[in-house]
Amino acid sequence: MGIATSDKPLLARVKESEQDKFMQASVAKAQDAQHTKREDSRALLGNWEEWRELGEQIRQRAIAYLPDYLEEFSNNVDKNGGDVFFADTEADAVDYIQKIVKETGAKKLVKSKSMVTTEIDMDKQLLALNKGLALMETDLAEFILQKDNWDEPTHIVFPTLHKNRDQVREIFMKLGYEGDNDPEHLARFARKYLREYFLQADLGVTGCNFAVADTGMINLVTNEGNADLTMAIPKTQIVVMGMERIVPTMADAEVLDNLLCRSAVGQKLTSYVTFAGQQVAGETDGPENFHVVIVDNRRSEALGTQFQSILQCIRCGACINVCPVYRHIGGHGYGSIYPGPIGAVLSPILGGYEKFGELPYASSLCGACTETCPVKIPLHKLLIQHRMVYTDRLKMQGGLNNFMMEVIGIGTGFPFLFRSAIRFGRPGLRTMAHKTDRLTALNFIKDEPLVDKGPGLVGGWADVRDLPIPPKHKESFRSWFADHKQQQKLAQAQKDNSSDK
Amino acid sequence: MAIYNREAFLDHLSEKLGTPRHQKDKEPFTHINQLPEETLADLSADELLEMARNTSEALKVTFKVTSKADLGGVLDAYLTDKGDGQLILPTAPDKIKAYGLDDWTAAASNQRTVKYWDPKADRATNLATAQDSAMAIGFGDYMLAESGTITVPSSPGQGRAFNFLPTHYLCIVKRSNILPRSTQATKLYAQRLKSGELKTSNINYISGPSNSGDIEMVLIVGVHGPLDMTYIVVDDM
Repeated sequence: MGIATSDKPLLARVKESEQDKFMQASVAKAQDAQHTKREDSRALLGNWEEWRELGEQIRQRAIAYLPDYLEEFSNNVDKNGGDVFFADTEADAVDYIQKIVKETGAKKLVKSKSMVTTEIDMDKQLLALNKGLALMETDLAEFILQKDNWDEPTHIVFPTLHKNRDQVREIFMKLGYEGDNDPEHLARFARKYLREYFLQADLGVTGCNFAVADTGMINLVTNEGNADLTMAIPKTQIVVMGMERIVPTMADAEVLDNLLCRSAVGQKLTSYVTFAGQQVAGETDGPENFHVVIVDNRRSEALGTQFQSILQCIRCGACINVCPVYRHIGGHGYGSIYPGPIGAVLSPILGGYEKFGELPYASSLCGACTETCPVKIPLHKLLIQHRMVYTDRLKMQGGLNNFMMEVIGIGTGFPFLFRSAIRFGRPGLRTMAHKTDRLTALNFIKDEPLVDKGPGLVGGWADVRDLPIPPKHKESFRSWFADHKQQQKLAQAQKDNSSDK
Repeated sequence: MAIYNREAFLDHLSEKLGTPRHQKDKEPFTHINQLPEETLADLSADELLEMARNTSEALKVTFKVTSKADLGGVLDAYLTDKGDGQLILPTAPDKIKAYGLDDWTAAASNQRTVKYWDPKADRATNLATAQDSAMAIGFGDYMLAESGTITVPSSPGQGRAFNFLPTHYLCIVKRSNILPRSTQATKLYAQRLKSGELKTSNINYISGPSNSGDIEMVLIVGVHGPLDMTYIVVDDM
C-alpha cells in the first residue's frame, strides 16, 4: 500500500475519525502535554530562533549539495567495509533488501522504527517473499501495531496514540500475557517477549535519523534501546534511509539531534543517541555485514522546485503536535503514513496528487506548523503552493466547483449582477431554512429557523456550520443603510430649510 | 565493499537541482552562529558537576561522586543494593588499573560470579554473558552536564550489547571529563576518529535508563535497555 493507509476518500476518513472519541481525546492530551514539554525545553536552551536558523542552514546546505554529500557518505561506508545501494523506487529498495535476506539465509529479522521502511512496505513484502522468515518490529509502539494485524500508525513519533491500555492488553493476551492493563506491566511483558527474539536474530533493519557524510556512520536518536540492540546483536544490518537524511559532519548531526529531541519529545537528548557503522577489527558484536539502502522514491520530484524545503524535514513531528486539524481528525484521517502538516505537504510529492491532492486543504493555514518547525520549513506556504498546483495547473477539482467559481467570478465582476444575486439569493436561501429541535448556537439564543443543508457551496458550508436564516430583503443591511441615508438626507434638508427661514 | 547504482542516481539529483556535481568543496561550509560552542561554555568545573547531578537525577539516575580511594567501597554498596546475580565487567586492564580497581575486581569474584566481555570470545558467547548478567559496571569517556549523559564508545573489551543487555547498569566517569554539552563530546570524537586515535564502530550517548511513552503516553522507565542507571563520578581534580 506504500504511504497510503486507506483507500477511502478524505471526507469518509474524516467522518470515521470524528466517531473515534478516544483518539480525539488522546491526541488533544498528547498535543497539550507535548506543548508544555517542547516549549519548556526550548526556553531552557535559550536563543531558540538562532538555533532554528542554524538548523535550517545545515539542512539547506545538505540538500543543496545532496549528490556530493551522498557520494562522500557512500565512499566512507565503502571504505569502512560496508555496501551502499542507491534505490530509485520502493521496488528497487525491496529487491535489494530481499537479495540480502536470501544471501545471508536470514531466518529472524528484527526491526527498529523506521518511517521509510513503512513507506516502501518492506515488512509485508519480505514476509510474502520469504515463507521461512520471521520478522519482528521491536519498537514498543510498532510491535503493538504489528501484533494488531498490522494496524496503521497515527503519528510519526507516537504511532499508537489511537490505542488505549485495554486494547494493548487485549493484543498482548493473544501472545500469552495474563496481567492487568498497567502500562508498566504491559511493557515488561513486551521486553521479555522481544528479548528472547532479539537474541536469536540474524538480521537487523534500522532507519536512520541522519547519515554522516564525512565518517560513513549513521546517527540514531531513540528512547527504548531497541535500535541499539538491533545494531548490536545480528551479524547483518541493513540501514534504510530517505536520501535527504544526509548531513555533512558529526557536528552538524549533533546540532540537529539537539533540535530534534527538544522538538519531538521535549528532551534535551533522548535516552540513546548513537553514531554507528560497520564493525571494526577486534569488536565482537555489531554488524559484520553493513548495508545502506538510500531511497529516492519520488523525493527528487521536490528538488529544484518550490517544494525543495520539505526535504529539510528532520521528522520531529512538532508540526503535527501543534496542528488544529490533526487535533480533530487524528492520523488516520489523513490516509497517509505521514499525517499532519508535514504529511499534507510530503504525501502529494511522494504519492501524487491523484491520491493525496486533497490533503493540502486539510489545513486552516494558521501557520502554527511553520512557527514551530525547528528547521524553518514554511509549511503553510507549501500547502498553498500545493493548492495552486492542484487547482490551477492540474485543474483537478474541475466539474461543478470550477463552474460555480466561474459564475461567482462573473457575478461579482458587475455591480448589477452582484446586486441582483443578493436581491434574489436571500429569498432563495430563506426557502431552505427550517426550525430544528437540535440545540445549536443559533437557536439557543433565538428560536429561529436555520439552514443546515443546501446545494453547492451552501452545502459545503452548512455541512459543518449552520447558517442563520437570512433577513428579508427590506430588513437587510443594504436596505437599512439606503433607508438610513435617505432619512439623513431628509433630516438635513429640513434643517437647511428651517435655517433659511 | 561495493556501491551500486550510484552514478545514474546522483546525476539525476544533480539534474533536478540544476547544479553540477562536485561543487561543495568550492564553497566551504561554516555555521551561521556559534551557539553550540557558546552555550554553557562558561560554567566552572563545580557548576558543571552540579548541573550534571541535577540533570541526571531528573532522569531517575542514581548519581554519586567519590574518590579513587573510596571507589571500591561505592561499587560494593551498589552490588549489595542490587542483590544477587552475575556481574559483567569490561576487559579494560588499563582503566581498571587507572581507577585503582585491581584488588577490587579480585575481591568481587569471591562474592559473586564475575564475567568479562571477552575480546577473544565470539559474538554468541559475549552476548550470552551480557544477557545472563544482572549487573554491568562499565567505563564511560565523558559526562555531559546539560543532558545528564554519559558517552561510551564500543571497544573490543566493552562491546555494544554490554551497555544494553544487563538489567542494571553502572558507568564510571572521571570528574575532569565532565563537559558542558554534546557539542564538546562530538567535537572530540570527530577529532579522535579522524586522527585514528579512536577506532570504533559505535559511540553511544546514554541519558538515563531506557524509556517509552507508547502506551497512553504514560512514561515507562526500562523498556529494552537497562531498567536503571547509576553514574559514579570519580573526583580526579
